[in-house]
Amino acid sequence: MAEYIKGWAGRRTFLKGMALGSAALASAGTALLGDRSVDGLGVARAWADGSRHKMAFIQWQPHTVPAAWSKGIEDVLKPQQVIDYELLDGQNKVEVQASLMDTLISQGASVIFLQPIDSVALAPSIAKAKRAGIAVITLNIDATEPHAAHVEMNHYYGAMDIAKAMGDHMGGKGKVAILNAPPGIIIRDQRTNGFVDGLKKYHPQIEVVADQVADWDRKKAQDVLHTILAAHPDLGGVYGVNDSMALGAVDVAKEKGLIGKLVIFGNDGEVAALESIENGELTGTQYTDVYQQGRLAAAAATVLATGGVPATAFAHQSHLLMPYIIATKDNVGSIQPSQRW
Amino acid sequence: MTLRPATAALIFFFAATVAFFCLTAPRFATATNAENLMSGFSFAAILAMGEAFPILARGIDLSIGAIVGVVGMVVFDLTQILHLPGYVILPAALVTGAVAGVINGVLIVRLRLSPFIATLATLAAFRGFVYAISGRQLVPGLTTTPITDPWITGLETYFDLGGALGLTNFIAMPWFPLSFFLMLALFAIFQTLALATRFGRDLYSVGGNAEAARLAGVNVNRTVVAAYAIAGFSAAVAALIMVARFTTSTEALGTGAELTAIAAAVIGGVSFSGGIGSMFGPALGAFLLGAVLLGLTLMGVPQFVQQIITGLILLAAVGYDRLMALARQRRLASNLAEAA
Amino acid sequence: MTQAPLISGRSLTKVYGHLIALRDANLAVMPGEARGLVGSNGAGKSTLIKILTGATAPTRGAVEVAGEAAPLGDPKEMIRRGVACIYQHANLAPAMSVMDNLFLGRQPRQRFGLLDRARQRREALDLLERHGVDLDLDAAVGALPTVQQKEVEILKALALDARVILMDEPTAWLAASEVAKLHATIRTLKAGGVGVVYISHVLDEIFALCDTLTIMRDGCVVAENTVAAIDRPTVVHLMVGEKLARESDEAARQKRRARGSGEVRLRASNLAKRGVFKDVSFDLYAGEIFCITGLIGSKRTELVRTLFGSESFDSGSLEVDGRPAAFSSPSRAIARGIGFVPEDRRREGLMLEMTVTENLAMAMLDRFRQGFMLRRGRMVEAGRKAISSLSIQPPDGTKPVNLLSGGNQQKVLVGKWLNRAPRILILDEPTVGVDVGAKAEIYAILRRERDRGAAVLVVSSDLEEVMTLADRIGVMVAGRLVAVHDAEAVQMDEIVREIGMETA
Repeated sequence: MAEYIKGWAGRRTFLKGMALGSAALASAGTALLGDRSVDGLGVARAWADGSRHKMAFIQWQPHTVPAAWSKGIEDVLKPQQVIDYELLDGQNKVEVQASLMDTLISQGASVIFLQPIDSVALAPSIAKAKRAGIAVITLNIDATEPHAAHVEMNHYYGAMDIAKAMGDHMGGKGKVAILNAPPGIIIRDQRTNGFVDGLKKYHPQIEVVADQVADWDRKKAQDVLHTILAAHPDLGGVYGVNDSMALGAVDVAKEKGLIGKLVIFGNDGEVAALESIENGELTGTQYTDVYQQGRLAAAAATVLATGGVPATAFAHQSHLLMPYIIATKDNVGSIQPSQRW
Repeated sequence: MTLRPATAALIFFFAATVAFFCLTAPRFATATNAENLMSGFSFAAILAMGEAFPILARGIDLSIGAIVGVVGMVVFDLTQILHLPGYVILPAALVTGAVAGVINGVLIVRLRLSPFIATLATLAAFRGFVYAISGRQLVPGLTTTPITDPWITGLETYFDLGGALGLTNFIAMPWFPLSFFLMLALFAIFQTLALATRFGRDLYSVGGNAEAARLAGVNVNRTVVAAYAIAGFSAAVAALIMVARFTTSTEALGTGAELTAIAAAVIGGVSFSGGIGSMFGPALGAFLLGAVLLGLTLMGVPQFVQQIITGLILLAAVGYDRLMALARQRRLASNLAEAA
Repeated sequence: MTQAPLISGRSLTKVYGHLIALRDANLAVMPGEARGLVGSNGAGKSTLIKILTGATAPTRGAVEVAGEAAPLGDPKEMIRRGVACIYQHANLAPAMSVMDNLFLGRQPRQRFGLLDRARQRREALDLLERHGVDLDLDAAVGALPTVQQKEVEILKALALDARVILMDEPTAWLAASEVAKLHATIRTLKAGGVGVVYISHVLDEIFALCDTLTIMRDGCVVAENTVAAIDRPTVVHLMVGEKLARESDEAARQKRRARGSGEVRLRASNLAKRGVFKDVSFDLYAGEIFCITGLIGSKRTELVRTLFGSESFDSGSLEVDGRPAAFSSPSRAIARGIGFVPEDRRREGLMLEMTVTENLAMAMLDRFRQGFMLRRGRMVEAGRKAISSLSIQPPDGTKPVNLLSGGNQQKVLVGKWLNRAPRILILDEPTVGVDVGAKAEIYAILRRERDRGAAVLVVSSDLEEVMTLADRIGVMVAGRLVAVHDAEAVQMDEIVREIGMETA
C-alpha cells in the first residue's frame, strides 16, 4: 500500500481538485437554478394557464385497499387529460412518507393523496404542504393537522348499522364477542365504538362478553375465538373489526359446526368476504366500494386543482363519509363483479 | 493525512451523482431539494457514523435501528405520559441509547457471542421492548396527540443562513435544519475520537488485529463495549431528530434503518475486515444514498427500481472492499515470496 | 552473588483439555543473561513464553518479576513491569502505519487526552536512528515485505525499554545481515543488564549468542546448562529424548527403502505457485515413505494441497503414474488413487458428530451402495475390520468420533483413506497432538502401507519422527525444496542445519 499511496500523492492533488471542483460546480448550479418554496396562490396561478397538474397518492404499503383506491383515482384523473398521476409507496415507514411528501412539495404538486401511516407523524409534512398551497386529501386514516379533505369509509356509522343487523339476526338478545385490532389505531376505535353504541341504541339486551385483540389477522382470530368459545360456549354473535378476522371466525364456526347458529359480521367488504356471504357462511359485512372511494377523492381533487383552489383557502377540513351497504345474503348479489376488490 | 483512494473515489462519485441528477432530474438543482436532502438524511448520516464504530472493531451492530425505536418510545412515554420536562428527557434519551449499546457490547465480550448473532438477538429483543413500553397502546388517546415540549420540538428548527448572511439577494439558498448541524457536530466529535485519541487508536488496532492489541496491553473488552455504546448513543441522537420531526414516535420507528446505516458505512469505505475507515465516508455515503433516492424519485423512477439501484451501489461498494482486501492479501503473499 | 532474577517462572503447568502442553516448568533469567530455549515442535516453548508475557494464564504455577509476584494472564501488567516479547506469529495490525504499530496501546498523549503526534513521531524517528533501521513510518505495515514487518516487531519490543525481552523464533524470516544486526543489538542489551530469552531451531545461533540453555521436551524442562558446558549432539539427544533417540536409531538401522520399488508414482517438476512456493521438483516412488520437513511457514502444507487438488499451482507440471495430472478438485485426485490426511483433523478431516463407522466409510460410500440405497450392514462390517486392524480404542463403531482421544481420532482419519487402498497416500503432520503410543501405531500403519506398495508422502515438522519414519527426506525452506536426502545417508544435524538455513 505504501507505494500505492505514494503514487497517489501527485494524482491525489489533481483528483481532490477535480472532486471539489465538480462539487462546487454542482452546488453553485443548485443555488443558481433553484427557487425557494412557492407561495400558495402562486401554485394555483401557475396552473390556471392550462399547464399540467401533478398529483400523487402515497400509500401505507402495498395492499388490496390502497391498490383499489389508486385504480379508482386513476379512472377519474386520466380522462381529465391535464393531470399526471403517480402511485408512491410508503414502505411502512413514516420517514419514507415524509420524504416523499417533501419531494412532491418541491415538485410543485397540486394535490397529494395520502394514507398516513401515523396520524401525528405525518402532520408536520401536511402542514408544510398546506403552506405551499398543496391540497392534501387523506384516505381512511385522518391526520391531526387540518387539511383539505378527508375521505373515509363510514367506520363509525357503518359499525352502528352492523350492530343493528347483527342484533336483528340474533333475535335481539344473546352474547357477542369482538375480534379486534391492536390498540392505538383510529379506525379501530371508530369501528368498535360504533358497534358498541349501535348495540346500546338498537339492541340493549345484547351483551358484549369479550373484546380481544386478533391483530387484523385471520389465523390469530381463529386462535382467539377458540379461547373465547371455551369460556362462552353459548356465544351468539361475533364481530370481526375487519373481514380477515371475521373469516377466521368463520373457519372456527365451520370446524365446530356452528354455521347458521353463530352470527358473524365483518367489516370492509373484501371479495373473499362477499363470496363467503354468498356461500352462506359469513352472515354479513359492511361493504364499501373502494374504487368509488378513490374516484370520489379524485373528483374532489380535480375540482380543487382545475378550479385553482389552494389549500390555504379552506376554512377547515372537509369530511366525506363513503356510502356503504350492510351486505348480507339478501343483497350481496347486487354488488357487481367490477365493484368487488 | 493522506486521502485514501477509496475516499477520493467516494467524493468523486458523489459529485458525479449530484451533477448527473442536476442535469437529468427536474427540480433536483433547487434549494428546496437541497433542504430535503439535509432534513431527510442527516439522521441517516448520524446512524452511519455510529455504525462505523462497531464495524471498525471488526464487528457489526444489527440492532441500531431497534435502539432508535427504543429511544423514540422512551422519549414519547417520558413526555406524553410522565410529562417530564424536555431538558430532563434529552439527556435521558442519550443515556438510554448508550446503555442499549453497552448491552450489545457486554453480550459480545462476556458471553463471547459473535456480533452478528448478539445484535440480531437484541434487534428482536429491543423491538419487542418498544412494543412493550409503547405509550400509544397503553393510553390510546395519545395516538392523536402530538408532542409539544419545546426542547424536543425545538430540534426541528430551520436556520435561514442565506438570509442572515445576505446571500439570498444573489442566489436562492436552502434553509439549514438543526439536524444537519447536529450531524456536523457529531462528525467533528467522532472524527476526533477516532483519529486523535488513544481510544481511537485502540479501536483501530482491535479491529486490525485483536490479538496483537491484547498482547500490546490494550483493554480489548473495554474498547469493544465502548464502540457499541457509541453506536447506541448515535442511535439516540437520530431518534431525537426523528421524534422532533414527526412530533411523535411509532412502534416501527427505525425499522430497517440498520441496513441503510451499514450500507452507508460500507459505501463510505469502512471495511468489514476491521480497522479501516473513518467518519467522513459513512456520512457522505448516507447523503449519497439520499441524493440517489431523491433524484430517482424526481425522475419518476418506480420505487422498486430505486431499491434495485441502491442495492447495486451497495454491491459495488462491497465488491470494491473485497477487491481491496484481496489485493492486500496478495501483496502480503508476494512479500513473503520476496523474502524467500 | 544473590541477585534476584529479572523474571522467573516456577512450576508452570498448562493444560488444554486433554493435552498437557507444559508440565512443572521452571525458567529464570538474570540481568545481562541470554538464555536459549530449545526443543522440538510441541515441546512447550511457545506456551512457556506466553505464560511469562501474560498472554496466557497457567493452570498452575507462579511468575515473579524482579522478585515480586506478578499477576497472571495480563499482558498489560507484564509490559508495565518491563517484560517485552517478540512473538513468533504476526503481532501487528496490518492496516495501521508503522508508527502506530510501534506505539500500539501506548501512544503519547497531550493535555486534553488527544494524541501527541509530534512527540510520537520524534520518539519513533529517534528509535529508528538508535537501532540503525530504515523504515517509512507512515507505510501501512501490511504492505511491507516480511523482513521489514519483522523489524517493526523487533523495534516495537525494543521501544518498550524492557528489562527482559523474550524472543520466539525472531530470525525465522530474516536475512543474514539482519540476523547479525539483531545479534549485535542483543549483545548491546546484555551489556546494559537486560535479560534475553531466545527461542530458536537454529542451534548455531544459540551457541553463538546465548550464555545458558534450557532444553524442553514433551512439555517438560529436561535440562538446563551453560552453553559452554554442553555440545551439539548432546543437545539434540536431549531434545529428542534418550528412549526415542534409541528407538529412532533402531528404526534408523532398519532397512530403509529409498526409492522403494523403483516405480515413480508421482513426479513433480518445477511446481510453482505465485507468492507461495517455487522450484519444487521431486519424484515419489511406490513402496517408500518420503518425508518433507521444514519450519512452520515453509509452505509444505500448501504444496501438498496442490498435489491433492484442493488448491491449484500456477506453473510447472505434475505426473501421476506417468500421465500428466492437473487436478481441478480433490475428487479427481481421489479417482486417480490419491488419499490425503489433512493437518487439522478436527476442521478438515473428521465429521466430529458422526460415529467412527460413518467417518471410516466416508471416503468410499460408493462401495456400499446398491442401487440408490446405502447398505448399512456392509458399512458396519467394513468399519469393524478397520477398527480392529488399526487398534482403535475404544473398539466401538457407534461412538461419536469427537469422544475419542487425539491419537485414535487420527487413526480413524488415516483409516478412512486406507479403506480405499490408495496408490499415493499424503499425510500432513499426522502425529500432532498424538500420544507416544498412538504415534508408534500410526508409524506401523504407514510402514504397512508402504510395504503394500503405496507411495507415502509425509509432511512433518517433528525431526525425530522424520528420522524414525522416512526412507527419504526432503527439506523445504520458505517455499523452496532445497534438498533431498536418502535417510540412511544423512545425520539429523545436517537436516537441522538445512532447515535453519537462511536464504541468500
